[in-house]
Amino acid sequence: MSDGQRSPTPGDGQIVVSGLTKQYKNLRAVDDLSFAVRPGRVTGFLGPNGAGKTTTLRMLLNLVTPTSGSATIDGRRYADLTDPLRHVGAVLEASSAHKGRTGINHLRVICAAAGLPRGRADEVLELVGLTPAAKRKFKGYSLGMKQRLGIAAAMLGDPRVLILDEPANGLDPEGIRWMRGFLKGLAAQGRTVLVSSHLLSEMQLLADDVVIIAAGKLVRQGPVEQVMSSMTAGGRVRVRTPQADELVAALREQGATVTPDEHGVLLVDGVDAPTVGRTALAAKAELHELGTERPDLERVFLELTAGKAGIR
Amino acid sequence: MNLVRSELLKIRTTNAWWLLGLGAFLSLVLAFAFNAFYAHQVLGGNAEEFGASGEAATVAGQAANIYTSGQFLGLLFVMLIGILMVTNEFFHQTATTTFLTTPRRTSVIVAKLIAASLLGFAFWLVTTLINLAAGAIFLTVDGHGAQLGEWTVHRALLFNLLAYAIWTILGVGIGTLIPNQLGAVITAAVLYLVGTQVVQLLFLALSAWLDSQAILKWQVVWPAVASLVMISGEKSDILPAWWVGALVLIGYALASGVVGVLITRRRDIA
Ligand SMILES: Nc1ncnc2c1ncn2[C@@H]1O[C@H](COP(=O)(O)OP(=O)(O)OP(=O)(O)O)[C@@H](O)[C@H]1O
Ligand SMILES: [Mg+2]
Repeated sequence: MSDGQRSPTPGDGQIVVSGLTKQYKNLRAVDDLSFAVRPGRVTGFLGPNGAGKTTTLRMLLNLVTPTSGSATIDGRRYADLTDPLRHVGAVLEASSAHKGRTGINHLRVICAAAGLPRGRADEVLELVGLTPAAKRKFKGYSLGMKQRLGIAAAMLGDPRVLILDEPANGLDPEGIRWMRGFLKGLAAQGRTVLVSSHLLSEMQLLADDVVIIAAGKLVRQGPVEQVMSSMTAGGRVRVRTPQADELVAALREQGATVTPDEHGVLLVDGVDAPTVGRTALAAKAELHELGTERPDLERVFLELTAGKAGIR
Repeated sequence: MNLVRSELLKIRTTNAWWLLGLGAFLSLVLAFAFNAFYAHQVLGGNAEEFGASGEAATVAGQAANIYTSGQFLGLLFVMLIGILMVTNEFFHQTATTTFLTTPRRTSVIVAKLIAASLLGFAFWLVTTLINLAAGAIFLTVDGHGAQLGEWTVHRALLFNLLAYAIWTILGVGIGTLIPNQLGAVITAAVLYLVGTQVVQLLFLALSAWLDSQAILKWQVVWPAVASLVMISGEKSDILPAWWVGALVLIGYALASGVVGVLITRRRDIA
């Protein structure tokens, strides 16, 4: 059911958030937020602690009432979906199970409520590799097992749209790699995958698109490559030369800022790599290395959210 | 219907139901022993000594009492089940999953109410079957006959059923009003166990102060008192008729159900 191309359910598989706002007593947790998430791709939902990621996802899922604005999945509000579990699977931070109930029974309870065949519970447990612990009580599960049970529950209805809040929490490196492959596989089948996280190195490996928010507001959205290269324009140039002093002087004349690092590499800000090359040629400096430092997602993220992060 | 099945499955897959069931069974055994002893004394000619008069002094009255043994604590236990059905969702943070599965929250609460009444019915059925078997044997052996044809007995059994269903529903209502598990359990236990005496004293004081006997009848607004009034079915000068008690209880069940639905619809699940 979950492997291979799935039969299309009606709807476009898009998540559209528009003008979404949540005002708590004296805090605007989410502030006029708009973005769209496309099917067939993994979208990373990034933001510093307290940025409003969880609140946004909960509003999207009808668990928290927005102060204003709307959020739709497949063109409809979550509350208006006829068979929500067959459209959307969600793994939220606080999705938990009764401590005294076994994993398999937890899933069977959901199956019963959603009108899904009981056998789906066994299938999804197998899918996430939790079958050996099926009959153990939830209180005996490790953090990673709980996270897997949450994913199993989300997969019960074989949904077209997956929404996950910090799914990598508590997973070991092997688990994280498994999750990455799993989510990429789902996206490759044409499903929509929205994953919130602040593990940026992981997101760089996983996400095709990103939506970055800070302090409840949208900061940037788009394909990872595009968001990164938009920042690379002002990216740093690395250059190595035996005639460092001459080159530094020539570059400073061009208005660049130069910082030598401890390995004798010059880090140049303010001019691009071709300019550095030309300047070196004119200054008769011999180049041993010249390149642009591609900022990683983490640097881009920190730059984009600078000054807006911090617990509110 | 799926939702009711799911709610019943939730209860079956945890320990609470048989722990409370065991509690109810033990209290039934104790109550039965006491009631049987009491009936033996009252019907054996010691009625006045034991403070039994009117209907309570008749064979049918004693039979009704025996056949509803364990009611007092049994009602408490079914109310606790009702409370747990709701507060567990918050205590174990399963509300998220529940409302993701069924975004129509009214349906969830209604399913809980239905499942709760079914459970109340099951508790009543089991206790009543045990009581009928043991009671009929005792009464026959004690030489009074089983009294199974008496209206007094039928009435007691029926109202016992009504009480079980309503108190379970009230439990669900209390759970939605007080989602904190400990808070809800303590509040309910105090309301049910301590409440009755306090309310009686309060109303006695009030009636002395206002110099009015009539005010005593208003005790019935208290759910536990209403329950007693409805179940006892005896005419009394101080307390109103049984149907007033029944109406008050049904009123509370409806009100708590409706308020519970309204609150749950608006609540943010975080
Ligand atoms: N029920 C609530 N009442 C008041 N404030 C709240 C409530 N829920 C969340 N907040 C506040 O809203 C802001 C956004 O919280 P949210 O949980 O959405 O952040 P987040 O992006 O998920 O953070 P994290 O990365 O730490 O999970 C925070 O400042 C938080 O304190
Ligand atoms: Mg969060």
